[in-house]
Amino acid sequence: MYRLALNMLFGDRGKLAMLLCGLSFSALLMAQQTSVFFGIMSWTYTPVVNIRAKVWVSDPMVEQVNDAKPMRDTDLSRVRSVDGVSWAAPLHTSFLQARMPDGNFKLVTLVGLDADTFAGAPAEIVQGRIEDLRLPNTVMIDEWGAQLMSRTEVALDGAVTTRPLRPGDTFEINDVEARIVGICRVRRAFTGGPFAYTTYDRAKAYTLGARRTLSFMLVEPYAGVTPAELCDRIERGTGLRAWTSDTVIWDWSERSLARHTFWWFWRNTGIPFSFGTAVALGLFVGIAISGQTFYSFVLENLRYFAAIKAMGAGMGLLSRMLVFQALVAGLLGFGLGAGMAQAIGRVMIEKGMPPFVMFPQVLWATLAFILGISLVSALIGIVKVSRVDASTVFRG
Amino acid sequence: MSETLDSPAVRVHGVDMAFGEGESRVTALKQATFEARAGELVMLVGPSGCGKTTLLSVIAGTLTPQAGEIGVFGQRLDGLGQEALTAFRRRHLGFVFQSFNLIPTLSMEENVMVPLLIQGADHGEARARAREMLGKVGLAGREESRPGALSGGQQQRVAIARALVHGPTLLICDEPTSALDKDTGAQILAMIRDLSRAPGRCVIVVTHDHRIYRFADRIAEMEDGRIRRMVDDPKLLDQPHA
Repeated sequence: MYRLALNMLFGDRGKLAMLLCGLSFSALLMAQQTSVFFGIMSWTYTPVVNIRAKVWVSDPMVEQVNDAKPMRDTDLSRVRSVDGVSWAAPLHTSFLQARMPDGNFKLVTLVGLDADTFAGAPAEIVQGRIEDLRLPNTVMIDEWGAQLMSRTEVALDGAVTTRPLRPGDTFEINDVEARIVGICRVRRAFTGGPFAYTTYDRAKAYTLGARRTLSFMLVEPYAGVTPAELCDRIERGTGLRAWTSDTVIWDWSERSLARHTFWWFWRNTGIPFSFGTAVALGLFVGIAISGQTFYSFVLENLRYFAAIKAMGAGMGLLSRMLVFQALVAGLLGFGLGAGMAQAIGRVMIEKGMPPFVMFPQVLWATLAFILGISLVSALIGIVKVSRVDASTVFRG
Repeated sequence: MSETLDSPAVRVHGVDMAFGEGESRVTALKQATFEARAGELVMLVGPSGCGKTTLLSVIAGTLTPQAGEIGVFGQRLDGLGQEALTAFRRRHLGFVFQSFNLIPTLSMEENVMVPLLIQGADHGEARARAREMLGKVGLAGREESRPGALSGGQQQRVAIARALVHGPTLLICDEPTSALDKDTGAQILAMIRDLSRAPGRCVIVVTHDHRIYRFADRIAEMEDGRIRRMVDDPKLLDQPHA
């Protein structure tokens, strides 16, 4: 009977198309919005991804990676003295206003790296060399930042052109010159602004000699010492807070700086609510459209269901047929919707905006919701069919 | 199912059936009593609203009367639960409906397969038997057609194939010719009579169509919710009740 149930479903192309539209639209909305949500949320812990240290050490009051509470430089020596530390390098991060040659201001994320080791340097350098940061007043900016900080030039013939910044261009941070010596490619951050990499010592100059500039320490454990183990030792030995660099937010490790950052933004911003609203909207639209369409499919076929009932089909068989039809429609709707979400995501990833991260869990959750919608639709149909009197088939 | 050909295949005794409550209560059957024997084709006739369809529904086990006894091939239906009635219909009954009730999105062959698949038959076996049955009603080669592509007469022939494909002992036909012209109606009744002639099978036809009375072995005339008389010859229906 299942094959016939399928043929009944596919036989009415118009209804099937409506049903698939509702289900696939819901799947698209749920998968796409959730993936954009996770994309945006993954930007919150971008520094952990870009800087690539096994262990991070911070002030004990720090809650997430964008919340630097500067420590004393002497804390670095204390960390270096902990058993199991191979090396430890200072890291400065701060948000500063950069003044462009045309007088405009841009907020930049200044990253000060240890000039000896360049620990935490970008993985991919597009133009220039990281060692050039040892030259006076130099910075390396990221590709996206170079676009954001584009400068306008007027040629001799009066033609106005705008181009991204490139090595050799300059801007100012707190009235101190910053000359670009390289362009790197890093992941974008939630804060949106360009990254400007420089040395740790020069970062002090750009921050006008702030008393404390040590935002984080990047630590490498000795071979055989796990990051989590080293974190314990550092916390016990120094009273500072130590973190691992795991970026799997589903892992409930208390040590993961990325996970803490992710859930900090979850708790303290309206992002989950706004995206959750869109996802819930998709769910309701899906239930409304597919429930209504499936119900009208059942209504149109009610006399045939009554005839099948009169012929001796029990409600068990009819219910299984309806559930089967609804689940097949659900799977097709999910496939179409998830496929469209993937296609849109591919375009987004190519453009880089908005961020898009489709976890397998998102697909599984979307599938579960769509099948749930299908089952609700089937249930509505089952109630209707169960109420139809088999004797109605004798009334013309 | 151990009835002989002479013993009643269908026995309805003192059945009362009413619909609604209070002032809107309508009595459809009043102490209706009726018998049909195995091997015969009995027609239930009478004016609209006399209770023909209600009696047919009671015999088919799709309506449960308020009082009376119903026996079909020795099986008492009154007092059976819904599940048992459903199982009884599945095994022993075949239906031909006034408006065919062929599922429009299924092919002819698939429509005929439905009773077999409900019984749990294998898909391949059901298909083979459906094809064979469609051949018997003269629709070989049209197995893949949809109901919408066939004439009314052809659709009713498919319905007959569907009603008989699983070898039911009781064939219930509700106004099988009302949607057909005179010649087609006669052909359909002839087909019902010829194909359903089997030892131990009983056919009950509800009809308004006096042109097909001649196909009946006996005719039960209904009036005001009860059987007025049973006649062997349709001509006797024109005579006043003795």
